Amino acid sequence: MFSAPPFWQNGPAPGSFYDFPNMQPQVQPNDFRQHTQSPVTTSTSLVAVTYDKGIIIAGDLLASYGSLARYRNCPRIVKVNNNIILGSSGDYADFQYVQNFIEQKVISDECLDDGITLKPKSLYCWLTRILYNRRSKMDPLWNNFIVAGIQDGEPFLGTVDKQGTAYSDKIICTGYGAHIATPMLRDALDNKPQLTQAEARAQVERCMEVLYYRDARSFPKYQLGIIDADQGVSIEGPLQVAQNWSVAHSIKGY
Amino acid sequence: MSLVVKPNFPDYQTAPVQRGFNPYADNGGSVVAIAGDDFVIIGADTRLSAGFSIYTREQNKLFPLSSTTVLGCSGCWCDTLTLTRILKSRMQMYQQEHNKTMSTTACAQMLSTMLYYKRFFPYYISNVLVGLDNDGKGVVYSYDPIGHCEKRTHRAGGSAGALLQPLLDNQIGKKNMLNVKEEPVSQQRALSIIKDVFISAAERDIYTGDSILINIITKDGIKEETFQLRKD
Amino acid sequence: MFLTRSEYDRGVNTFSPEGRLFQVEYAIEAIKLGSTAIGISTSQGVVLAVEKRITSQLMEPTTIEKIVEVDKHIGCAVSGLIADSRTMIDRARIECQNHWFVYNENMTVESCAQAVSNLAIQFGDSDDDGAAMSRPFGVAILFAGIDEKGPQLYHMDPSGTFVQFDAKAIGSGSEGAQQSLQEVYHKSMTLEEATTSALTILKQVMEEKLNSSNVEVMTMTPDKLFHMFSKDQVEEALTRGLLVEHPVTLTVGQKA
Repeated sequence: MFSAPPFWQNGPAPGSFYDFPNMQPQVQPNDFRQHTQSPVTTSTSLVAVTYDKGIIIAGDLLASYGSLARYRNCPRIVKVNNNIILGSSGDYADFQYVQNFIEQKVISDECLDDGITLKPKSLYCWLTRILYNRRSKMDPLWNNFIVAGIQDGEPFLGTVDKQGTAYSDKIICTGYGAHIATPMLRDALDNKPQLTQAEARAQVERCMEVLYYRDARSFPKYQLGIIDADQGVSIEGPLQVAQNWSVAHSIKGY
Repeated sequence: MSLVVKPNFPDYQTAPVQRGFNPYADNGGSVVAIAGDDFVIIGADTRLSAGFSIYTREQNKLFPLSSTTVLGCSGCWCDTLTLTRILKSRMQMYQQEHNKTMSTTACAQMLSTMLYYKRFFPYYISNVLVGLDNDGKGVVYSYDPIGHCEKRTHRAGGSAGALLQPLLDNQIGKKNMLNVKEEPVSQQRALSIIKDVFISAAERDIYTGDSILINIITKDGIKEETFQLRKD
Repeated sequence: MFLTRSEYDRGVNTFSPEGRLFQVEYAIEAIKLGSTAIGISTSQGVVLAVEKRITSQLMEPTTIEKIVEVDKHIGCAVSGLIADSRTMIDRARIECQNHWFVYNENMTVESCAQAVSNLAIQFGDSDDDGAAMSRPFGVAILFAGIDEKGPQLYHMDPSGTFVQFDAKAIGSGSEGAQQSLQEVYHKSMTLEEATTSALTILKQVMEEKLNSSNVEVMTMTPDKLFHMFSKDQVEEALTRGLLVEHPVTLTVGQKA
């Protein structure tokens, strides 16, 4: 819409009122940059555990918009290549951004056709640097990534958070799972330090069930990623959490 | 006095809300170092935590920089990861540029300048650098996050630093004791003091525990040792 | 010879078909116009002696500075285009101070030479924050210093090549002087012998008569580090080496 220029600097334009309170010159920088202050569309816990020959990782398919269960089919456990699975919790858009980036890397790797592929520890380290750089710009990628892979025949499980904090362990859970699933899995590993794939799977399924009961942002539909030294990568799902509410009526007092 | 009474709808309040992203995390952990005449011992717990969660029970926080120098870090883990990687490459660059391995004293000064260069966005780490000096004597350097460097014979840093430093001052520095003989601490005694103070720290500090990793540095090289702590 | 040269001796970035960079070679030639400088490294320390060309009676000889301090433990003698040498000495000083600032230790003589060499070969390249240097530096430098390896002497030419020497001469009289150094040098030389030898050789190759105002002498020793000889000390060194023709005055108690 056409509007005539003001009569004088900061003065009224023809047909408009003289705006006294805003008479001071409004000098504004023209290089605004919005930095991420909080996540928007988020996904909840990830649960991952190492067994004798590989790693199992699970996460539900929900992407929440605050407390709203907004998108109900958002996969966030993905195969990167034949020896890496990547999982993410936190901002779903940031995950998709990083996922695209990694897919490009893997495509370039394949184009070279030299048989050399991205290794789990390399991806883990690379993610650490990417996330640390973004946190240093005060514009973080609001994610908690889990890298699960097989390197030199050994399972590798590592995680990186939005600040670039990174560590590897036999059990890693993010979000609510860090409080609920980690102690359950640690207990399982204390009883039997080397789980088989079936045992590990049973433990992860149990964790997903408890998390569904306790985490308000969880969802009964989930995916399971398995990376095995012999069988390679498989992503299963959507799976359903086995629910049993028969005792619910007897819980009273809170 | 205004006759208009403004209604109060909390859900529609538009007051500025403080939000933001905190680039730092406190991941806890303690480091203790004791220097002797011909050795230096450094120990760090292996618990990595944030708030009430324990991330992992087996995180090494000691970083050997050369055959006579070891750095112990606690505080913000993402900064530790970054700083130690940069240090490692600086050690290699020095080796290649000057055809010699960086001495502990040179490393101590370099760390100070590196920390100060990030004065206005510091690495939130409490660093303890130990090693043998050019005469083969054990030395301990301790730092604040912005590069203040102090040379001492014993030092406790990190989440249980304030808890353990007075204990070391008393046991190693013979402070506040009457009729004590000033004699250099033996390697054996230094090692047992380190284990003892970590046991004590694990009792009182929730950010210290699980186990400790100890590096004993002598002219013969670096010897590693582990020691279990309580895991709750 | 000049036929091939004339085609390829303009740009500093162009090799001749024989694989030579003529501008660099010309720069090395420029050194041979410079005043002679001699350095001898002994187990006790290093001595540098340079000739100062007093071209006019009205010139103030003390303002010709051909031996300079880079750090307390490193000194330099230069020959060639002195103005160019200032830039290089500046770099050497900065590098030494920076090394001390970052590492709290003295820079080694070799590292110092390396740092200056990095500057010397920057001719021809330009980057974002600076235009290219149009030509190589027309300077040869003798670095005399003490570090953990003991007394050391390094020579650097305009190509940036630096080599350690026991004894080295640069400048116009360098060919003859180097020959003489070869004959006179031995591993067990004392610093005093080295000083006398350096002055003797300087006397041989200089056109002017040697005296305390047309020569500069510096010693680098583990205890005194950089030490520039005063006029009296130069005089004394000349007398000791019987290098002056005026009658020697003996003090009481000294034997003739």
